[in-house]
Amino acid sequence: MEPQDDAQILKDCSPYVKFAKLDELLALGRANSLWPLTFGLACCAIEMMAAGASRFDLARFSAEVFRPSPRQADVMIVAGTINKKMALAVKTLYDQMPEPKWVIAMGNCAISGGPFVFPGQYAVIEGVDKLFPVDVYIPGCPPRPEALIEGLLKLEEKLTGKRRWPVVIPK
Amino acid sequence: MNPTLPPSIPFQPVDYAAKGWHFDAVIAPDKVVEAAALLDAEGFALDTITGVDWMAEGKMEVIYDFFCLDKPLRVAVRTRIPRDNPEIATISAVFPGANWHERETHDFFGIRFIGHPDLTPFLLPEDADYHPLRKDFAA
Amino acid sequence: MTAPETIPTQTQRETFVLNLGPQHPATHGVLRVKMTMDGEYIVRAEPVCGYIHRMQEKMGENRTYAQFLPNTSRIDYLSAMTYTHAFVGAVERAARLAVPPRAEYIRVITSELNRISSHLVWFGAFLLDLGGFTPLLYAFDDREQILDLLEGITGSRLTYSYYRIGGLYNDVDDAFVKGTREFVARMRPRLKMYRALVTENIILRKRLIGIGPISAEMCRKYGATGPVIRGSGVAYDVRKIEPYSVYSEMDFIAPTFPEGDSMARYLVRMEEIAQSLRIIEQGLDKLPAGPVMAEKVPRVLKLPSGDYCYAVEAARGRFAVRIVSDGKEIPYRVKLRSPSLSNLSLFEEASRGMLLPDALALMGSLDLVIPDIDR
Repeated sequence: MEPQDDAQILKDCSPYVKFAKLDELLALGRANSLWPLTFGLACCAIEMMAAGASRFDLARFSAEVFRPSPRQADVMIVAGTINKKMALAVKTLYDQMPEPKWVIAMGNCAISGGPFVFPGQYAVIEGVDKLFPVDVYIPGCPPRPEALIEGLLKLEEKLTGKRRWPVVIPK
Repeated sequence: MNPTLPPSIPFQPVDYAAKGWHFDAVIAPDKVVEAAALLDAEGFALDTITGVDWMAEGKMEVIYDFFCLDKPLRVAVRTRIPRDNPEIATISAVFPGANWHERETHDFFGIRFIGHPDLTPFLLPEDADYHPLRKDFAA
Repeated sequence: MTAPETIPTQTQRETFVLNLGPQHPATHGVLRVKMTMDGEYIVRAEPVCGYIHRMQEKMGENRTYAQFLPNTSRIDYLSAMTYTHAFVGAVERAARLAVPPRAEYIRVITSELNRISSHLVWFGAFLLDLGGFTPLLYAFDDREQILDLLEGITGSRLTYSYYRIGGLYNDVDDAFVKGTREFVARMRPRLKMYRALVTENIILRKRLIGIGPISAEMCRKYGATGPVIRGSGVAYDVRKIEPYSVYSEMDFIAPTFPEGDSMARYLVRMEEIAQSLRIIEQGLDKLPAGPVMAEKVPRVLKLPSGDYCYAVEAARGRFAVRIVSDGKEIPYRVKLRSPSLSNLSLFEEASRGMLLPDALALMGSLDLVIPDIDR
């Protein structure tokens, strides 16, 4: 057999074998299989359910597997208003999620308290980032399911550095 | 079943189109349990219990709404209690549904319902000691 | 080998407290139920509310009548139209505003569309609790058709603030009328499909028939309304007993089933979808021409002093708004009578001695929306 040089072998194999840094592979794996925690608190939860249901189908973006247990989830989609009574439970859930974990604040209430902020308010925590760090903010009251999908794509972009789908510009 | 208004409660007719209910009665606070029992015997259902803080007059008003299940007949029974020591007997022995309504009214106004089995915070955190719907409440 | 000694059979029974929620897939919101359990039987189930208390009634005292309107959609976001209807109805009653007939008919049509979409969400979520994922996908597909129609006229999918004080914000166009007729024609065969796929499914029947019996007397004592009381044999429907808007011109029945178990409540809601389709058709047939907003709605609305009340039949039961006004442009007190609170208050008594999965079937059949309880 004649000796082949390595560069030629790599070139011949390149349609079938890819090489990448381990970090990038892990990031790709994590981004393409985000498992959300079922954490619908209020109205935004219905749009989250609609995003997981037939028309908008989060399964296409591999985030369909909503886990009820925080131990098995890696992204917490905070959909709804955080209350002072609920804040401890939310923080406990966040702490129970294993690393690496991400948080998406869905809806105006999770971003900054939403429509329930008024002078003299006594019950609402103005934004989930007062409790723990948030990675993606999705504004809306409630945001459309497409906005939630865009938020997930943004999170994937944050993880991998590349955006999976092109940005849709409506005509 | 043809519920009629118990005659001993001083009901006055109300313009339904303008207000939304049919009869209204203002009674003394110590008569609420008796009124609730009479309305229960006639087959009324408990709608809700509302508290209103009339701070300027130094009174708190408690409005008990009842409705009839088979004909259009809604009645409101109201009573006023002093604001600085608001206490009234519970009607939860007559209408078990009043249990939660009274807890909520206590949460918001601080009205103590005497004889209530469990007057702990219902909508507010368990350690809440404030009553937010009072007019002098500051967060 | 000698026989083993008799094992003492006197076992000590202990109860333990099992906490359901506040984060739980089956509670449909943030409800916590502290259950004292004897094995898998519930000794006492105590709901703890307040985890989504959003100060709606306090906000009523800090917002003008027009500013409070978006809040009404968010109390029970699944029947947002009917809740807004109650609030604007109370204000219109107090201010003696005459709503034009076209607006009333459109209000009825959109309220009934909202009722169908709320029942579809209940249907999907209830079956999800019982363990079936597929009906959720079918139900949400139908619901998307309704949401497309409503989005075309209101601009929003979930929290419409479509009704305004004095009428509507926007008129409906021919696309809406045509689309709604097509939806009605499409939905009727779908109901037959749901009946064959779900209602006649043996597993569902075994899980619901005879489970969670609630008597009419219990409903009356707790003030439970809506499908809960209609599933116990009492034909109480606010649209029939205290008709509001133009419901008195519509020909429909309030379905009632006498058994009082979870299956009866399930059948009430499925039948209500069919009745709502009838009301929508009649509303479209009778839709008059004209304006959709009352004339002379004051920009700064002040209601005369006193209390005013308006009750509607929301998807979950009787929702009533009581506004206490002292003559200013912000209300003195806004009281929201929540159907889910009254419906849940009987859960403690009704679930004594039940198995845990049966209690969850009962809770699902009560159709709760927790922000409606906590307001």
